[in-house]
Amino acid sequence: MTAEPLILIVDDDEGLRRSLQFLFASAGLESQSWDSAEAFLADLPAHGPTRPGALVLDCRMPGMGGLALLRLLGERGYPLPVVIITGHGDVRMAVEALKTGAYDFIEKPFREQHLLDTVEAAAGVSRDWLDRDARRRGVAERLARLNRREREVLERVLEGKANKVIAHELDLSIKTIEVYRAALMDKMQAGSVAELALLVALHREDAARG
Amino acid sequence: MFGFPRFVILWLALACAALSAPQAVAQIRVGVLAVQGESDATREFAPTIAHLNHALPGLDFVLVPLALDALSQAAATGAVDFLITNPGHYVALGSRLGVTRIATIERLDGADTSGRVGSTVITPARPGHPQGWPDLAGLRIAVTARDAFGGWQVALREMLDAAAPPRGPLVETGFPMTNVIEALRAGHADAGVLRACLLESLIASGLVAEGEFAVVAERDAGDLPCRLSSRLYPDWPFARLPAVDADLARQVAVALLTMPAAEGRRWAVPHDYGAVQELFRELRLGAFADMPHRRLVDYLRAHWHWFAGFALAVLWWAIHSARVEVLVRRRTAELTREMAERSRAEAEARQHREERDQYARLGILGEMASSIAHELNQPLGAITNYAEGLTRALDRGQPDPVFLRDGVRGIAGQADRAGAIIRRIRSFLRRREPQREALDLNEVARGPLSLFGAAAGRRGIALRFDPAPALPPVMGDRVEIEQVLLNLLQNALDASEDAPQGGEVRLSTAIDGDMVTMTLRDHGSGLSPQDATHIFDAFHTTKERGLGLGLPICRTIAESHGGQLWAEPQPDGLAMHFSLPAATAPKEAE
Repeated sequence: MTAEPLILIVDDDEGLRRSLQFLFASAGLESQSWDSAEAFLADLPAHGPTRPGALVLDCRMPGMGGLALLRLLGERGYPLPVVIITGHGDVRMAVEALKTGAYDFIEKPFREQHLLDTVEAAAGVSRDWLDRDARRRGVAERLARLNRREREVLERVLEGKANKVIAHELDLSIKTIEVYRAALMDKMQAGSVAELALLVALHREDAARG
Repeated sequence: MFGFPRFVILWLALACAALSAPQAVAQIRVGVLAVQGESDATREFAPTIAHLNHALPGLDFVLVPLALDALSQAAATGAVDFLITNPGHYVALGSRLGVTRIATIERLDGADTSGRVGSTVITPARPGHPQGWPDLAGLRIAVTARDAFGGWQVALREMLDAAAPPRGPLVETGFPMTNVIEALRAGHADAGVLRACLLESLIASGLVAEGEFAVVAERDAGDLPCRLSSRLYPDWPFARLPAVDADLARQVAVALLTMPAAEGRRWAVPHDYGAVQELFRELRLGAFADMPHRRLVDYLRAHWHWFAGFALAVLWWAIHSARVEVLVRRRTAELTREMAERSRAEAEARQHREERDQYARLGILGEMASSIAHELNQPLGAITNYAEGLTRALDRGQPDPVFLRDGVRGIAGQADRAGAIIRRIRSFLRRREPQREALDLNEVARGPLSLFGAAAGRRGIALRFDPAPALPPVMGDRVEIEQVLLNLLQNALDASEDAPQGGEVRLSTAIDGDMVTMTLRDHGSGLSPQDATHIFDAFHTTKERGLGLGLPICRTIAESHGGQLWAEPQPDGLAMHFSLPAATAPKEAE
């Protein structure tokens, strides 16, 4: 995953929106903007972002406000770090934003470097999230490739059972168990049982959350 | 007195008589001065006329009694052929019309048979009675008439000659001359003027006692056996007009001189009337037309009570006028002062109103401060972003000119925007005279709505506008109406801020009869019953930093436009109604 980050901006003020895009462009950051939360949601890819990035969100907007959009993205588990821009001294809003899952908040008026640093940091987080997501997707795909016998063997291996015990339980020969075990380790691209356990744990955590 | 109409009637009568008279009998008209009325004159000279008719058969002498002016007119127009008049009148007419005397009357009623006229001035014989002319000054003098010859004018000349003009009032008694005696006896006058020899005649007849009256300024009477105060003048003449045939005149003269005495009178050869002319010159009397100056004074004295009354009336009127004028002037001054006072008070009130409005605008502006700050922060923030971006691009070296241009244009655009906001605030704050114009409320509403649109959005409040189609215009002041809307919008947004459902603020316009109504409906905190009764009171506020002037001023504005502003509490918020009268069709046509 080496895609360039894309900064997403939602602000009802066109002048500010364009100036932010200009600022990001000067820092070599590609950006895209929407004038309302509703418009942004309409364009949002359902399966999540394909490029790392950050959402810069004005907290006060007509219609669906910034906070409402943040809440909605959180509920969907949408993997996009959100930087909320709040009014000067609006502590209540800042706290609310962080509680709702914002990556960070920036108080107006802000120093541009601070905004750029925050946005870039958020983009880094986004990249990690994308990487992990990709890994999760890999585990799921590998698990999907296992056949029924291989999944049964996997369960028992993860339970720490020896081949002999597994052969007994499945009423198969030890030789056969060893073949299945080698195949699933190969399919799961796991070098060791510990690594296998980590991959499956990652998947299960994901499944439990989703 | 001697009216023109009377003369005209007479003249017509004469003309008719002349026309109707048979040619054989020529009518000869004898005008006579009727001093005491027509009947007296007729009676006095009837024997003379009868004698003439008898003496000159074939001629029809007619007596025409006339008053002084009418007689003058008749003589001037030839309406009479002969005339019998007093010496003064004769002299006046003689010089003007060429009238010639043919006989002079002689009175036989006393000792006098001289055919001469004089005056005797008498006074009651009391101790200290006036002796000479100067003693008469200031006394009341009884005379038969002002224009009586022997009865006054003759005596007047003597007074003037003696440099003792009469200063007291003249008491006119009228004829007969014995009235003068009665006036003296009754105490109405201090002295009286009698024709010469009348006194002796009255004494002789026993009507007056010998020593009852004394004579004032008595002079030598010469051969006249009477007591006398004046010179003597010839008596009344019988005169002919120049148009009369000389032969006829001669026949008449002969007839007169041969006439026997009748009624105590007879005709004698004509006297010299030069003395009369002299008298008239002295009295400055032309043809009896002019009254001497003294006459006026006498008249004033005689009628002093009338003049006094009149003078009092004039005086009262003058005082009244002056008083009225003073009052008018005073009242005018008061009015002027009151008007000045009122205009000053009005100017003061206007200034107060302006100041209050100014405070109100400042107050509204204060309440709008966070919105305004936000409005201004937007372009300022944008400008900062552009500036930072440009700095970065330049720092990186070899910047893309297109990129730099974008940044600079962005800064310029945002600076313009900030300037526009400042201008809008300043125009809102500027003092100004209200200007009425035809306004479309739907259009007017858009300004305040745009100002609050962003602010409402940031508070999570949906600001909606439902303009009614085909809204009639209203006559109003745009800025004032905007001020009302800004106020109402600010209140609605403030009330909606903490509303549970975030709230929607909806502005709508509607036609309601002949009114155009704007309604601002919010779903905010609403009004407590207590606030509901006080929201239009000055300095009543529910806001922490409010002035409490917004709604009172809004209501004043609405009412000054002939409209209304009222609140209508709702179960979940408040509706504010702002109505203005629709401009009528004729106004539109203008």
